Amino acid sequence: MGKRELTIPVKQPARSNPLAHVFDELMNFCRARSMFMLHYCTGCGAIELPPAMTSRFDMERLGIQPMVTPRQADILLITGYVSIKTLKRVILTYEQMPSPKYVVGICSCTVNGGMYWQSYATAKVLKDYLPVDIYIAGCMPRPEAVIEGLRQLMSDIEQGNANSWQRYYQQYDHYLGNQQKLFGDAWQTPTDVVAEARHYDLITEHTLGKHTALLEKHQKPLEPFQARLKQREEADGR
Amino acid sequence: MSMQHLLVELVVMPLVAFIVGLFIVLMMRKLGARIQRRIGPPLLQPLYDILKLYGKRTQVSHGLLHEIGIIMAVGGYIAAETLLPVPGLNGIADKGGLVTLAYVMMVPSLGLALGVGQCANPNGSIGISRALTAMFAYDVPFILVVFGVAYQYGTTSLTEVIAIQQQQGIAGWGVVQMPLLFVAGLIALPAMMGKHPFEIYVAPAEIATGPMVEMGGKFLGGLFVMQCFQFYTISVLFVTLFLGGGENWLTFLLKVFAVAAVPLSMAYVFPRYRTEDMLRFMWKWPVVLGLLGLALVMG
Repeated sequence: MGKRELTIPVKQPARSNPLAHVFDELMNFCRARSMFMLHYCTGCGAIELPPAMTSRFDMERLGIQPMVTPRQADILLITGYVSIKTLKRVILTYEQMPSPKYVVGICSCTVNGGMYWQSYATAKVLKDYLPVDIYIAGCMPRPEAVIEGLRQLMSDIEQGNANSWQRYYQQYDHYLGNQQKLFGDAWQTPTDVVAEARHYDLITEHTLGKHTALLEKHQKPLEPFQARLKQREEADGR
Repeated sequence: MSMQHLLVELVVMPLVAFIVGLFIVLMMRKLGARIQRRIGPPLLQPLYDILKLYGKRTQVSHGLLHEIGIIMAVGGYIAAETLLPVPGLNGIADKGGLVTLAYVMMVPSLGLALGVGQCANPNGSIGISRALTAMFAYDVPFILVVFGVAYQYGTTSLTEVIAIQQQQGIAGWGVVQMPLLFVAGLIALPAMMGKHPFEIYVAPAEIATGPMVEMGGKFLGGLFVMQCFQFYTISVLFVTLFLGGGENWLTFLLKVFAVAAVPLSMAYVFPRYRTEDMLRFMWKWPVVLGLLGLALVMG
């Protein structure tokens, strides 16, 4: 990939505006009060979300509302175990979300595998593969606990402490290594995370390493997906 | 009117529209919450959402048309605001008129179609084709209503329509003079606002919010701003045509919020029509009522 060396590094402009930190405070204030969540409901924890959203525990009074696509969302809510196959989709979804973005792991399955500890098909510790902002433990946590956890996330965001999305760029080699261990050496996503890290000026000594080198070796250029209807003969197997 | 005065009005009118629109959006969400026995969002929630979306670090653009599309969507409504007279502010309303306004109100849908087309997301394309079909459906009763009102008052100028209605008092209001056209307009109202039961082009559960599917950050923020303008424009137009416009800001805002409350409270109790059913419904009931109303007005 000789092309990457040729790109001009994006320099973040120095912040000379004396009101810059006021804007940051305002933005953090708004981010904490308006969270669009994308719930990736893989497991039984999904059952506890509808009561948290509807009339009994009304999440909307905290400014939290469900959204349907990763582009619109701020929080990725993972409720329950992630099998190796679903984890690929979770990572694809996470990388498409616009930052600042937050990951919330609900249920003990995301903490340590829970009752799927001995399963060969389950990715046990979610924070090995994605930077998790907050865990809500329990099997399953009640809506009160879910809301308590999200309120904790809100106060973290408002104080400017919920920066784990930066950790994904800063330690990409670590996360990619764990992903490669599960999915094999040929694993790649449509998102160029290293280029994004360069864009946000978040490259550290842990961003690039042997795992990103392995990725570059196997990386295939992405091609547009050819949507084509099969002919009837093909579909019938003739 | 001096040039400076006009320029100030051209800036103030969209600004006022945006602020009132924010409160209409808040009213929509509060109404939904009350109907579902919830508490609902706090006072400034619509503003928090928009500020947060504009403050996102990642802004995924899919190309030039994607950006121009959003500008057209918001800009079309900003242009519409300057053509809509409100108490004390006339803008360029006496230069344009009902016909210009009806044209300008189509620009946002077309802009959205351009922008969504560039995103190349199949859900978005399905959504925008449904949105344009919906526009096709509600525009027929809308144009009938506009034509009837223009015939009744003998003018297409919105300032004159308001002046005539206010001179004659409540007996001269469009709703008393043309009750059938009023009902036809009321049926078309939820479709123009893109609300249930004519909400098939958003349909979050099936086509993932259709036109909004690839929008994030400032693009979604732009669409939220557009929604504020959309609710305001349609409510104010309805108040102007049928409810005598505004004598002062108090009665004006009361009327605007009352009109907006009708489709927005219906939105939370109805499921949605399929596209072809919506077209059939819109071209049957409001059109029949509109034509009858037109016959009464002209007879």
